[in-house]
Amino acid sequence: MFNDKNSEGAINRIKDLINSSPIVKKIKSTKIYKKYEWRSIIYILPVILVLAFLNFYPILYTIYISFTNFNTKFFYNFYFIGITNYVYVLQTNALYTIIENTLVWSIGSTIVMVPAGFILALIMNQRGLRGKYLYRSMFLFPWAFPAFITILIWSNMLAFNGGVVNEIMNFFGLKSIAWLTSPKYAMISLILVNFWLSFPYYTFVYTSAVQSIPQELYEAAEMDGYGSIRTLTSVTLPLLRRQVAFITIFGFIFTWNNFYVPFLLTSGGPGISTQILITYSYQEAFSFDNFSLAAAYSVFSMLILLVFVVVANHYSKMMQVVY
Amino acid sequence: MQSIEMNKNELKMKNEDYDIFRKNNYYKRIKIVKRIVSHIVLILFSIFSVFPIYYVFITSLNPIGSLGDATLRDLLPTASSSLSNYYDILFRHPFLLWLRNTLLLTATSTLIGLVVAIISGLAFSRFKIPAKHALLYTLLILTLFPFTMLVIPFYFMFAQLHLLNTFIGLIIPYSAFALIYATYLIKTYVDNIPKDYEEAAQMDGLSRRGALFRILVPMAKPVIIFSLIVAFMGPYTDYALAGQFLTSSNKFTMAIGMYYISQGTITINYGAYSAFAVLMGIPIFIVFFVFQKYLVSGFSLSTYK
Repeated sequence: MFNDKNSEGAINRIKDLINSSPIVKKIKSTKIYKKYEWRSIIYILPVILVLAFLNFYPILYTIYISFTNFNTKFFYNFYFIGITNYVYVLQTNALYTIIENTLVWSIGSTIVMVPAGFILALIMNQRGLRGKYLYRSMFLFPWAFPAFITILIWSNMLAFNGGVVNEIMNFFGLKSIAWLTSPKYAMISLILVNFWLSFPYYTFVYTSAVQSIPQELYEAAEMDGYGSIRTLTSVTLPLLRRQVAFITIFGFIFTWNNFYVPFLLTSGGPGISTQILITYSYQEAFSFDNFSLAAAYSVFSMLILLVFVVVANHYSKMMQVVY
Repeated sequence: MQSIEMNKNELKMKNEDYDIFRKNNYYKRIKIVKRIVSHIVLILFSIFSVFPIYYVFITSLNPIGSLGDATLRDLLPTASSSLSNYYDILFRHPFLLWLRNTLLLTATSTLIGLVVAIISGLAFSRFKIPAKHALLYTLLILTLFPFTMLVIPFYFMFAQLHLLNTFIGLIIPYSAFALIYATYLIKTYVDNIPKDYEEAAQMDGLSRRGALFRILVPMAKPVIIFSLIVAFMGPYTDYALAGQFLTSSNKFTMAIGMYYISQGTITINYGAYSAFAVLMGIPIFIVFFVFQKYLVSGFSLSTYK
């Protein structure tokens, strides 16, 4: 239909017209324009679109509906009601229990899984240790089996009747424990399962971090007669300071947001004794259809995390690992 | 006098030798103790890691009606062990339909997400993009907001677009999240590859773009495979989004099926349930084992700075 030569000529003419206009010339001569490669934006356009439409818009939408009365009653004609939802949330005792649960859950998980991963990585990094690869393959099991499945397996294993953990305890003459249905043990079970799920990940991450330290440094430390603890405190830890901070802080955040473990194991029960912010918000939305209240809980969670990240970054400078 | 002094000196040296010998002996013993303790710790952790998988595997072979019937004897293969549970789950339940749906969703979204992520990851690493650091920082901060919290706004967004209960409605958010995480991983990995390679390729006559993609993509293979696995896992086991989006039972994925079975909405033999878990887990498991070496090298945080 189009003559190729003609259309090319037309495009060139348009380009010339644009380039010769005084505004474009002025822009092109500025420092900022010369500093960057503006055309490369095309490569990252999908990322920008995703950020705009699938991240910022939904987050803003969540914040917006947290100020309305969006629930099943006013599904089609909800309106702005100010901070009523937040006042309601702050007045109920549930919020404090849930925040406490969230803190116990994320701090409790982090302080067992991150050090365990680090110690296992150090143990496996010893020179001349036999069976290193065998052990490493064994540790791959919890990570390689999808968490969704293994959590459900654990919920069967921890069941009061017929659960294998109780069966084994009975075999040794101990009484059965209601692992998932008593308020006393439910949180401990959650942390235990989460530990099982995540220690291999931390072992692998720390293994690759520890391996990145040049071997000469260890040899030098050995020459100077450093013992293993002194090597740890004066070679390994100072070099990996930022990585350790980064991994710990992100481990904490990831656990804070970890939805499946509480949701599948106890779904927050018994009562709300293992309910964390994110499962409570999900349940509020999709079990009780109280969307605006759910959004308010989400916003609470986001705010707490945001403050935490800013403060943590200020003290640990962990983001420098990234650049 | 002199001979006595010499003798003294010799004696001193001998004593020192003896000290060194004793010290060496002491260090050796400590080393052996350390080894033994290490092995004990590692063996305990190995048993701890493997046991649940062994448990589900063995219960999938034994005929167990319900969880209450399970006993310790089921932990070992018995005379009645067979593959009948597998037959049950494969042909008497809609397992194959769920598998098809899951693979369709997962493969499409992983592919889309990863291809775009490779392009943008390389661009982030090598081009002088305006506001690059701000964008990267935002990417990182946004990983703080969990997928699950976005389910509520997504639900209403996609309802307005009439994309609920369709696969496209799920593929869009899945690939978007695969994209963000993978971009990030690839960017940090490629940052550590020296620029000399592309420059050499450019000398040899490749265009800048050609040099980037033809040289760096093969070199970034570990991180690409790593992000492929990570990206695959998300949609494969997602319940939070799929469970709300998909309402008609012929569109269910394996994760939804599994959730309904575990909640008792769909009743099924306990043995068959275990067989389901094994069948769903095995593919990922094999992929992990095959690509094991990339799991360590794929992390670019490892780069010692």
